[in-house]
Amino acid sequence: MASAVKPLGLQAVEARYNDVERHYAETRDIRLLGFVFFLISDCVLFASFIFAYMYLRVSAPAWPPFVDGHQLPWFDTAFAALNSVVLFGSGVTMHFALENWKHLNKQKFNAWLLATIVLGIAFLLGQAHEWSLIKTTWQGSSMGASFFTLTGMHGFHVFVGVIYLTVLGFQANRGVYTGSKYFGLTAGTLYWHFVDVIWVALFFLFYLW
Amino acid sequence: MEAGMHATPALHEHDSDDHIHPPPEGFIRKYVFSLDHKVIGVQYFITGILFMLIGGSFAELIRLQLWKPEGAIMSHEAYNVVYTMHGTPMVWLVLIPLVTGAIGNFVMPLQIGARDVAFPWLNMISFWIVPLSGVVLFSTLLYGGAHAGWTEYPPISLQDGVAGALWCLSIILVGVSSTMTGMNFMVTIIKMRAPGMTWTRMPLFVWATLATALMNMIATVALSAALLALFLEHVYNVPFFDPSRGGSPLLYQHMFWFYSHPAVYIFILPAFGVISEVLPTFARKPIFGYKMIAFSSMAIAILGFAVWAHHMYPSGLAPWIQTPFMILTFAVGVPTGIKIFSWLATIWGGRIQLTVPMLYALAFLITFTFGGITGIFLASVPANLHEHGSYFVVGHFHYVVGGGAVFGFLAGLTYWYPKVTGRMLDERMGKIGFWLFFAGLNLTFLPMHWLGLEGMARRYASYEYFAKTHPDSVFWNQFATVSSFLMVASVALLAVNLIWSLRHGKLAGNNPWGARTLEWMISSPPPYYNFKKIPIVYDRPYDFGEPLPYRNLDHETDPYPAPTRASLAGPAPFPAGA
Repeated sequence: MASAVKPLGLQAVEARYNDVERHYAETRDIRLLGFVFFLISDCVLFASFIFAYMYLRVSAPAWPPFVDGHQLPWFDTAFAALNSVVLFGSGVTMHFALENWKHLNKQKFNAWLLATIVLGIAFLLGQAHEWSLIKTTWQGSSMGASFFTLTGMHGFHVFVGVIYLTVLGFQANRGVYTGSKYFGLTAGTLYWHFVDVIWVALFFLFYLW
Repeated sequence: MEAGMHATPALHEHDSDDHIHPPPEGFIRKYVFSLDHKVIGVQYFITGILFMLIGGSFAELIRLQLWKPEGAIMSHEAYNVVYTMHGTPMVWLVLIPLVTGAIGNFVMPLQIGARDVAFPWLNMISFWIVPLSGVVLFSTLLYGGAHAGWTEYPPISLQDGVAGALWCLSIILVGVSSTMTGMNFMVTIIKMRAPGMTWTRMPLFVWATLATALMNMIATVALSAALLALFLEHVYNVPFFDPSRGGSPLLYQHMFWFYSHPAVYIFILPAFGVISEVLPTFARKPIFGYKMIAFSSMAIAILGFAVWAHHMYPSGLAPWIQTPFMILTFAVGVPTGIKIFSWLATIWGGRIQLTVPMLYALAFLITFTFGGITGIFLASVPANLHEHGSYFVVGHFHYVVGGGAVFGFLAGLTYWYPKVTGRMLDERMGKIGFWLFFAGLNLTFLPMHWLGLEGMARRYASYEYFAKTHPDSVFWNQFATVSSFLMVASVALLAVNLIWSLRHGKLAGNNPWGARTLEWMISSPPPYYNFKKIPIVYDRPYDFGEPLPYRNLDHETDPYPAPTRASLAGPAPFPAGA
């Protein structure tokens, strides 16, 4: 049987336990980890529908599928590629926004954040245009079902993200975040990058595959 | 503001008491919308038990219908609704709230020496979604009910109309709740363990909760996605599962089982954790193979994601898909076997006290192993094709879930009841209840194995034609029906015991069982803040006979806690020289 009291570095343990800074960092880490787990589970939601799309596509006799005897056209890559650049650009601007916040440059932070929000809205408008170009409907074919569900879910995430970033902008300017306490901004940035990464997968699946 | 951005906060006199919030006041804040993980655990318990009474009533309706081969009490359509409304609430509104919600919420934060879970608000919301989804689920009965069983396979489920859509909505809600609980528990266990509680010093129930939380966090979202797709098909006619427009019903089965196979581990893993706590306590021996038990929980959680298609062999999968799933399913038997043998080695040579929780734990070893072995039959493709649509599966499943998850839950309930209420359960009522349940479970579900092997199909409202070729099947069905009421009697006795002991049970004291995990180091019931001082942990909690591996406890307890009147009912927990 193991000896009852093992040499444990009691002092180290107690020092850690009483350390105020460390305590703050840990509460922040707790929230950050929770947020990352939220993003992972959200990722599974997309992954499930992506699996559904791949499954339907691979098991279909022909792709694009036939509807009423006519084969549907492929999705048009050109406009979607342009729109992707808009979204990826917004990821870059968001990165600069957070970096400027960390370097205490609030005016630049505001400018980059505004740019991010504008690009996000531009992407949503682009998606609305893209939807109008699609030759099938949500109900019409498995292609349409997957496409509209996945891009709709993604668009909804972008929409939520735009609102989220706007709220964060107001909060930052009202002085909610100070010093090392800017967890909300970190979370908003993570969320925005997450939305970008999901779009990489969707763009590949719908336009390049 | 900019000048102060990088200023360090002023160091102030910091003591662990700083983070104790005053307890909430008023009935609503205290007992209804409570943020306290202990109250939420009890809320989950009450909700789960209420739904269990409803789900159990539907089970008895099934048994009564099968009293006669042509069906005794209801129409065939009604029977479809009845077995759907037995399975659905039992899986999602009973087992998951009871094992992860109730026991997990109450015990896990106490065992890691935390004051609460990481996100108490999220925890409260997770709980309140469960009764809501129950209301939505039972509202399907107003629209004629869902007919397609707890799996709701399309295309049959798509004929359910409004009821089917509400069914999807209800289970999506449960899924959201489970996902949030999973994230919450993951963060709590990773970040909020007491100082010194390294990964390999966590109690095994915490390991099991961690593995469960991982699956809750990942797999449950996949279920929500599957049901969201089904919901869209119901409401907006989106053709995910309609072959005439390019969809595939098999896709639903893949998406559904990708969650729902891990789901059976979601309810069995916490039961494993409970057993790992109960056996060493009542065998008065250190757990055998701590690391193997801990890591096999994680192995089961991970392998659980790679075996879903073994539910789909009769659906016509290609052989090259079936074979790897068969092998992977056999592989799950390895970590499970590691656990079983570790538990056997734990009680081997121990000084066993046959308390009620220990009885449930020992029964678990028997019935769960039995169910696991029939599971190996079912994992094999050729055997499965014969057994899958038959009562053999029903017998197997109820041995695993009833003899595994429910026995684990009951072991946990009777083990931690003194901690929750401060009173002991009545031992005699508990033992009678145990034997009733043990007998009822075995006598009800054992005959189903041979009925199934002879060819009795499951989910049928009548078995007239089967009874013509197998006349003895009538006897065995009636036998099972009678036996199932032993379980009803046991549950009734349990309810009486729970309520009676709340007032009249013997006082439990801090540590009635002489156990060594952290929750037994504080008063029963625990105070609002759990630990006034966060304890420091030095070792695993299973070295019986050694001094306790904790420092900085709220009140320095005797390393050999004095046996109370209650624990003296069995052999003394610390015999001389132990």
